[in-house]
Amino acid sequence: MNELVRETYRYRELIWALALKELKIRYKRSVLGFMWALLNPALMMVVLSLVFGTIMRFPIPHYAIFLLSVLLPWTFFAQSLSYSVESIVSNGDLIKKVAVAKLVFPMAAIVSNIINLLLSLIPLALLVPIMRHPFYWTWLYLPIPVLALVIFTLGMTFFFAVANVYYRDVAHILQVVLSAWFYFTPIIYSLDFIPQKYQWLFKLNPLIYVINGFRLAVYYGMLPKLQSIAASFVCAFIALFIGFAVFRKYQDDFVFYV
Amino acid sequence: MSDMSEYKAASSAIAIRAENLTQRFRVIQERPDTVRELFSKFLRHTSTYHDFEAVKNVSFEIPAGQVVGLIGRNGSGKSTLLKIIAGVYKPTAGRVQVEGKLAPLIELGTGFHHELTGRENILLNGLLMGYSKREMQAKEQSIIDFADIGDFIDAPVKQYSSGMYVRLAFAVATEVDPQILLVDEILTVGDIAFQNKSFERIQKFRQSGKTIVLVSHAMAMIEAYCDRAILLENGSVMADGPTHEVAEEYKALMTPEAVGAV
Repeated sequence: MNELVRETYRYRELIWALALKELKIRYKRSVLGFMWALLNPALMMVVLSLVFGTIMRFPIPHYAIFLLSVLLPWTFFAQSLSYSVESIVSNGDLIKKVAVAKLVFPMAAIVSNIINLLLSLIPLALLVPIMRHPFYWTWLYLPIPVLALVIFTLGMTFFFAVANVYYRDVAHILQVVLSAWFYFTPIIYSLDFIPQKYQWLFKLNPLIYVINGFRLAVYYGMLPKLQSIAASFVCAFIALFIGFAVFRKYQDDFVFYV
Repeated sequence: MSDMSEYKAASSAIAIRAENLTQRFRVIQERPDTVRELFSKFLRHTSTYHDFEAVKNVSFEIPAGQVVGLIGRNGSGKSTLLKIIAGVYKPTAGRVQVEGKLAPLIELGTGFHHELTGRENILLNGLLMGYSKREMQAKEQSIIDFADIGDFIDAPVKQYSSGMYVRLAFAVATEVDPQILLVDEILTVGDIAFQNKSFERIQKFRQSGKTIVLVSHAMAMIEAYCDRAILLENGSVMADGPTHEVAEEYKALMTPEAVGAV
């Protein structure tokens, strides 16, 4: 774990440059460029509020905010994984020719997605007063679940990026896993909708604790219980620990398989 | 900076030390294309790969300031050895120690990204080679001057001609002032003027006492530049010594009779 921190610090400039490169390329050749990072979630919000606010009325007030408060972090998670699962393989040419620390590639993918996540919170913050939903001081708590989410995502990323080097099927399987995971996480619904006797099953989902923190802070104006916060960090660090251990074990071998 | 001072102190010492280097590759002969093939392979337990040693038990020491030619026919392991020294491959066995900053001129422009401009690529490439942003910014102007590609420096590199591409890459790789240069058959690119400029630069590196490892099939070049040559054959060192002697052995190896006998 020490090694991870040290290497990240050592290669911080490279990671940052690669992350910026990724963003630059993602928005290159589009007229609005970087604005898409803001527009994308904003337009999604319009659609969601139309569908759920006027057409399929859910018995939840300000449903758009209820949903987006956790959909945005989920999008970060899913997008980071989808991008970075290929991060080693797609940089194969580079890995085969330059002596470079391999961890910079998944790291850069995460960093570029963190920037996207932070940008996407801006339209959400604008939507809150527009919908006349109270703006809670608990927004200040958000850095904590963001941190837990980033750590968790990083761990998963390391693991899947390695697995994909050896079995390219992993990238495809991941897409299936992610869409199943989406529906088994209380994102479009609330955990209260689940019958009591099945709730324990949902609580096995490591993402539920961190997701809960986002929704409580933005939608309910509350802070999660201490044990819920602890659980989110325990899950995050377990993921990081396993993910990085696997990554470390195989990183010198990548060059022969990409 | 600290790298430099450490290096200076050890300048009479060894720049590259290779001890019993072996590099084994797994060659996958055929991939099962269908699920049915995969199953039948699995059931019959047939192996679809064999191991191949590209470099076998190679040891040598290169003192700082020496210019060494690495020669041998195609597939003898020269490029693999160069990649081990550059740190791209982690050897299966043995170890390699390198003293000082190393610049691999192996495949130029590898770290370039087509959508980024020349200027952006200078920074990215430098960071990939392990230099800091500050170092690269300090050297940016002299890199641009050497590459001599005019206003194209602020255009995406995908618009470059292949000559411009290589010039910029060569400029980035050499302008950063490395102590060790690994050169793999790249000096035949660009027009005559640029080739001369590159040779001049290599010559200057040589005169300023830098260590250079040169891989080439052009024996004239090896004999003109190198103090010493190492001849590789089937992954092992066949000869190691003064350039002209090793070059003779290489030529003997390449006579029609010898080649025909293999």
